[in-house]
Amino acid sequence: MQKIKLLLVDDEKDFLTVYARRFVRRNADITLASSGQEAIDKIQTIEFDVVILDVMMPEMNGIETLRRIKAIKPNLPVIILTGHANSQTMIEGMDIGAFDFLLKPVGTDELYFRVLDAVRSRHRAQM
Amino acid sequence: MQTIFKTLFNCIRKSSAGHDEDRERFLAKTENFRLLLAANNKALEIMAQITEEAQSESVFSMAHVRAQSLKVASSVRQMIERLCLMAPGKYGELRDVFNTIVLSMEKAMDEGTKRDIGPLVLPMEDVRADSLPLTGSKMAMLGEVRAALGVEVPRGFSITASSYHLFMEQSGLGDEINRLIQIHDSETLDGLRLLEESIRHAIDMTVIPQDIEQLVTRNCRKFGNVSMAVRSSAVGEDSEDASFAGQFVSKLGVKAGDVLEAYRRVLASAYSATAMAYRLNRGLRDDAVVMCVACMEMVDAKAGGVIYTQSPMGHDDGRVVVNAVPGLPRTVVDGCSLVDSWVVERTSLAIRSKDIAAKEVCYVKTSCGRINKEKLYGDRSVAPSVSDSVVQRLVRLALRIESHFGTPQDIEWALARDGRIVILQCRPLSVRVPHEDILPHAHNDEDAASILLHSCVAASPGVAAGRVALVASDEDMSQFPENGVLLARSARPQLSVLMSQVCGLVTEYGSPVGHLANVAREFGKPYLIAGSGAVEQLSGVGMVTVNADTGNIYLGFRQTQIDGSATSTLPGPSNEVRLALQRMIPYIVPLSLTDPESPEFLPEYCTSLHDITRFCHEKAVNEMFMGGEQLTANARKLVGKMPMQYWLIDIGGGTAESCDNTRVCLDDIRSNTMKALWRGMTAIPWDGPPPVAPGGLMSVFSEAACNPALAPGMANSMGDRNYFTVGRHYCNLQSRFGFHFCTIEGFAGDDPAENYALFQFKGGGADMGRRSSRAHMIGDILEQHGFIVEVRDDALFARIEGVEKEAVEQALVVAGYLLVHTRQVDMIAANPDSLSQYGQKFTADIGALLSGLAGESQDWRCGA
Repeated sequence: MQKIKLLLVDDEKDFLTVYARRFVRRNADITLASSGQEAIDKIQTIEFDVVILDVMMPEMNGIETLRRIKAIKPNLPVIILTGHANSQTMIEGMDIGAFDFLLKPVGTDELYFRVLDAVRSRHRAQM
Repeated sequence: MQTIFKTLFNCIRKSSAGHDEDRERFLAKTENFRLLLAANNKALEIMAQITEEAQSESVFSMAHVRAQSLKVASSVRQMIERLCLMAPGKYGELRDVFNTIVLSMEKAMDEGTKRDIGPLVLPMEDVRADSLPLTGSKMAMLGEVRAALGVEVPRGFSITASSYHLFMEQSGLGDEINRLIQIHDSETLDGLRLLEESIRHAIDMTVIPQDIEQLVTRNCRKFGNVSMAVRSSAVGEDSEDASFAGQFVSKLGVKAGDVLEAYRRVLASAYSATAMAYRLNRGLRDDAVVMCVACMEMVDAKAGGVIYTQSPMGHDDGRVVVNAVPGLPRTVVDGCSLVDSWVVERTSLAIRSKDIAAKEVCYVKTSCGRINKEKLYGDRSVAPSVSDSVVQRLVRLALRIESHFGTPQDIEWALARDGRIVILQCRPLSVRVPHEDILPHAHNDEDAASILLHSCVAASPGVAAGRVALVASDEDMSQFPENGVLLARSARPQLSVLMSQVCGLVTEYGSPVGHLANVAREFGKPYLIAGSGAVEQLSGVGMVTVNADTGNIYLGFRQTQIDGSATSTLPGPSNEVRLALQRMIPYIVPLSLTDPESPEFLPEYCTSLHDITRFCHEKAVNEMFMGGEQLTANARKLVGKMPMQYWLIDIGGGTAESCDNTRVCLDDIRSNTMKALWRGMTAIPWDGPPPVAPGGLMSVFSEAACNPALAPGMANSMGDRNYFTVGRHYCNLQSRFGFHFCTIEGFAGDDPAENYALFQFKGGGADMGRRSSRAHMIGDILEQHGFIVEVRDDALFARIEGVEKEAVEQALVVAGYLLVHTRQVDMIAANPDSLSQYGQKFTADIGALLSGLAGESQDWRCGA
């Protein structure tokens, strides 16, 4: 039985802990990264199905992280999940190729379904 | 999950040669179409919410407005991306159109929040009324009366709006605060308290920019070793219709070295739970807060107080009210003690009445500059705080200030030990306007026998009835009942956080000129100060009627008192949050792109997000069903006895290999999921449309006439064909049944982790209320069969995941049945009894269908 391999990127430890717990219950294989650089390091060594990415992070912000992820793995779906309610950020993220842009707080079901959509979309796109 | 796609992928690879690429592209297109429809539903749903919110009286924050705008925009952008994936290279220009609309929308939303640039710190001697955008109202008014009237005000300086912006921006603090507001629950008191704590922590962790630090330190040095008052002077505070009375912090007795820390505290108070609740309920924008801070030399006050140059209850009887306490005026405004009061004739300055209270405490400045709270006993307690002649001097001064500004004033003052009168604050007085045709106190009091308390002091007029709820702790505040009568010992300003929940207020202590009274008047809530013992008398009595027009409190609900109320509510400030939402609407909601046949049905003619959704939807349907390209070349017509036309695309293993290239019989189907779905759709024949009352039919006609999505052009554009896409364990149905559009999809293989069923459903011919009722009824039935269901308006999303294949097959039987049998049920959905009867019939039918499945489903999986 294969699990969804999910990378959660957020500098807020509480957020990572809460969502990791919720996704593990849904049979996902969770990897955590607390910075953009850590996320980039991880995607180079692990094959993920989806990345969930925060925007406001110190040093490398989410948009720059997304840009670098897309340069390395163009087909890896990235869902931006942020409390930073800013149109410019949304436009930038979608222009770079984010799969979706969601605002915190988001219900676990809604986020999980978007993750499933992203996984399906990716695999079908590759067919 | 990956395995599903590998399985499908392998199925496709193994399928008959020649059309593999088309099939792969079709499958990807189907998925993008499904995602586009989901985004379309979400976008339209948020547009409906926004339209309703813009017209409603409901309370919401600017964070909510921003979130709504972003949710609708990201859904629309999602549609564009899906359309671009369905038809690469054809619709890329939509992105530019979208970006232009969204940026214009954001600009419209923030219109009027312009920023004034100026010095970081401004000395009092340079402050005038027109400094308000830079120094905030409190400081600007003091600067004005000092310069224009020569009135004595404390020496000091303003830490200006420019400092605030620098502090917020230099380290990203402003963004962080907006983020915290976005992610926290601001609808409950507990949520607001948590948010307050998080913001305070963020402010504490942020370094004050060096430029501000140096300027504040340099200005403090000018005053030597005196203690300072560091007070809020926010832009928009102290206005006539939004006083913010008591919402922000003032730090008194601050040493020069501690001014920056006090500055931080005052800034943080802009985000106290009470201040945020106040803004939320007054429709003021959190993101428009600009906290300027007034740093002023402390006055060594012998006495202090507040003057109202007119009655705030609305009856201009030519009298001025002076309230006073010994020491600093703090106890007047924070309601923790009784106060002395004088009523003075404004023309003759004759004292009409005076009430010298037994004051319990006072605040005094010590020799080292700190502030001490002192108990008052004996003669000190009952001695007048000031002499009558001082009262007359105060009134004379107050009337000069009123005359200068041209409006009734609420003035805070201090009498220095050397006899000088120093003005600490002046602001426009909020005045309630009485109804002209009803005179207060004119009631025939037939309820006299039920009076619990009488002769209470009215702090805010009006009459209200509700259950008494004592508030003695934070927990009491969290549990305060909706429309209760708030009962408390003292008039703490923090109680104002409950103002939207209370119907009336009663406190033992307090003053009509206190902060709580100010806020009660702004919210139009009757408020009585009932004196010592009221808490004991009223606790636990249940329902009372508070009549602040007569000063009486009655046991029970007294209609005659409410009918006789003489007071209208104070007009609220313009709701800035709702206005911001309304300014956005032209960029979101209007639909001008209605005719797909028009030469202007092009991206460049999209002027709203709704136009883009309409365009994307139309083009997606064309790409999906009307493309005429190779994608549907694989489609074969399903033949058999059936009322509608169905076409089928086999992505591998879904049909018997023997069948021909143009037609496929039901017996040739090998897909277990399609068989299950088909079973649900056909096992019980549809009885036809429900008998419709004229109202139901009219609703359909009028909806068809008014809703562009149901216009003939639209209906045709959906295509006449209903497509099944099938694999051995997979089935997807894209279908339009009557006026509603539906997607059903399922995968049922051996590994439960990969299995799922989806059911998306939206639309109908009747009005939204009936369509929504039908969607809820369908949702209830689906939930009974293990689906996770979300219904918003008439859109239904249901999923079941990670279950055995038998469960998916059953789910598809249920979905298939509901797809066919709920047709046109929206027409009778206005009648709850009829709807309920249909619900019962559907439940019974489904029960019968599922109970007969056991043997049949084995056959589905074994193949024919």
